[in-house]
Amino acid sequence: MTALTATGLGKRYGKKWALRDCSLEVPEGRIAALVGPNGAGKTTLLHLATGLLEPTTGSVSVLDRAVGSDRDLLSDIGFVAQDVPLYRTFSVADMLEFGRRLNRRWDGELAKTRLTALGISLEDRVGELSGGQRAQVALALALAKLPKVLLLDEPLASLDPLARRDFLGVLMESVAEHEISVVLSSHLVADLERVCDYLIVLSAARTQVAGEIEPLLHDHKIIAGPRWEGASIGGVTSIVTEKHTERQTTMLVRVEGPILDPAWSVQDVGLEDLVLAYLGKPGASALPGPRLAVARGEASR
Amino acid sequence: MIWVTWRQHRASLLFGFAILLVLCGFLLATGHNIWSVYRSTGTEHCVLTHHCDAITGSFNDRFNAYQFLIPLFLLIPALVGIFWGAPLVAREIENGTHRLAWTQGITRRRWIATKLTILLGAAVAGLAGFTYTLAWWSRPFVATSSERFNPGIFDLRGVVPIAYVLFAVALGVAAGTIMRRTVAAMGVTLVAFVGVRTSITLWARQHFATAKKLASPFPFPFKDSSGLAVGPNAWVISSNTVDRAGHLFGKGINLNLDAMAARCPGLIPGPPGGPPKEGFRALPDPSSMQACIQRVGLQVRSTYQPGTRYWPFQAIESAIFIALAAGLIAFSIWWLNRRVS
Repeated sequence: MTALTATGLGKRYGKKWALRDCSLEVPEGRIAALVGPNGAGKTTLLHLATGLLEPTTGSVSVLDRAVGSDRDLLSDIGFVAQDVPLYRTFSVADMLEFGRRLNRRWDGELAKTRLTALGISLEDRVGELSGGQRAQVALALALAKLPKVLLLDEPLASLDPLARRDFLGVLMESVAEHEISVVLSSHLVADLERVCDYLIVLSAARTQVAGEIEPLLHDHKIIAGPRWEGASIGGVTSIVTEKHTERQTTMLVRVEGPILDPAWSVQDVGLEDLVLAYLGKPGASALPGPRLAVARGEASR
Repeated sequence: MIWVTWRQHRASLLFGFAILLVLCGFLLATGHNIWSVYRSTGTEHCVLTHHCDAITGSFNDRFNAYQFLIPLFLLIPALVGIFWGAPLVAREIENGTHRLAWTQGITRRRWIATKLTILLGAAVAGLAGFTYTLAWWSRPFVATSSERFNPGIFDLRGVVPIAYVLFAVALGVAAGTIMRRTVAAMGVTLVAFVGVRTSITLWARQHFATAKKLASPFPFPFKDSSGLAVGPNAWVISSNTVDRAGHLFGKGINLNLDAMAARCPGLIPGPPGGPPKEGFRALPDPSSMQACIQRVGLQVRSTYQPGTRYWPFQAIESAIFIALAAGLIAFSIWWLNRRVS
């Protein structure tokens, strides 16, 4: 089963595509990072997945159920929208009551215990909470629905590093406890490396990378060697980025098996480097299945 | 969802009802005085038995200052639409909380349906209570006038105020849903409400039923339109003064002295002892005036809606505004489901 599936998904406003031809699959049980620059369509994708938006082209399904046609699907989705919208005049207790009244399945006790443990009093007014506390309330609301899929739109954006750590801590804990699949959009790649095991890179309204983080990191290497003139390198299937000096070439490449040529020194790649490399090369892609690999126009050079 | 609606809107609902209660309190306090004067001066007795213009005139003069309340009362439905209707969806979108509300376990349709039901119910209840109080308060004034179709009376009594408030709230909700901004939606609600209400009052209402036409002898001495034999409480839309042959003597109920004098020589007496002075003209005495009116066959041709059409007109006007409200609500729900994210 997949947590989130998009097939040729697109959303157009007037003449501008907010998301175009997006196809991806997030398997169940993952914590997927959805990264990409501003305007890449991350929010649009999540809004399509929650049914807030209707697609212009293609289709989207959550838990293998088509969004929009399945009325009960919303009960299985926990969603925290961008900027963590909450009713500012409500108390925290009111917010929880709001969730209880609007959902069939609801574990308010769990949310209360969790928030109290974080030092958030139920009598506090939402408008008087700090950004980190508001994010925690929103997360508690989403988790109290006992969702099977949790969609979080930039939940870390306005949080300080400490609040970010706490937020991700609660997230990890609950996900492990309740076996929830998570799709988390963010552009704070460094934070995601610790918690996520699946990566989706969206840029210019298209999917560029989709896959499990570990194999992705395993299959990408930074290689450095003498200035490269275009000969094929054994083990390298595509070149994502290349940097040349007069005598030396450094490249981030996608590999298949070891690079045996001793002229090249091979280094492992971090998630942030990987993401930045792809974002810097909108033409390159690393997608699973039949769409795999061949970076358009890159490998042939 | 009922709890959620109450929790979200209780402040504006309570504030709105508080204002209506204050207004009702004012009406009760002043109405007490109005009714005691109405009875103690014999005005009520007068009205019930028959004409007694002097008493009703002085009664109305005494409370003339309350006239200023009429425009305020006419605007109450608009205010409900502005403060209850316009923010309903617009504020939610402005704060981004629609993304919270619409991703819970209930459908958008149910969300808006519950909110609308409660809000429209509250608006109807509030306006019904207020209109009932106002009807009691203004009954002496209405009884002493023959102008039940007057916009300051017709539009504030009976069932139309409830239809107006339904329309105003629906208008506010629709404006807020489309414009997504509370303040802008409030402005549009006010302008559109006043525009629609004014057009229907000024131009459409008189055509709700084919107006009756009637020619009646010129009422002399003239008092008011009750002399036209159009029946009690009729709404005289227009009238012309014509002679027996149908030649126009003047617009309205009009004694054109020059035209009369031309037909009845000697109608206007010369000044006593001397040639006519510039700018001076003696008035004819009533009996020769009466004789001249008879001779010319002066009559008034009136176009009017009879007083018996008061309730049918209330029903027609209410139906129009309720239909408009229903259309706006259906449109808002459709728009909300398809166009808003």
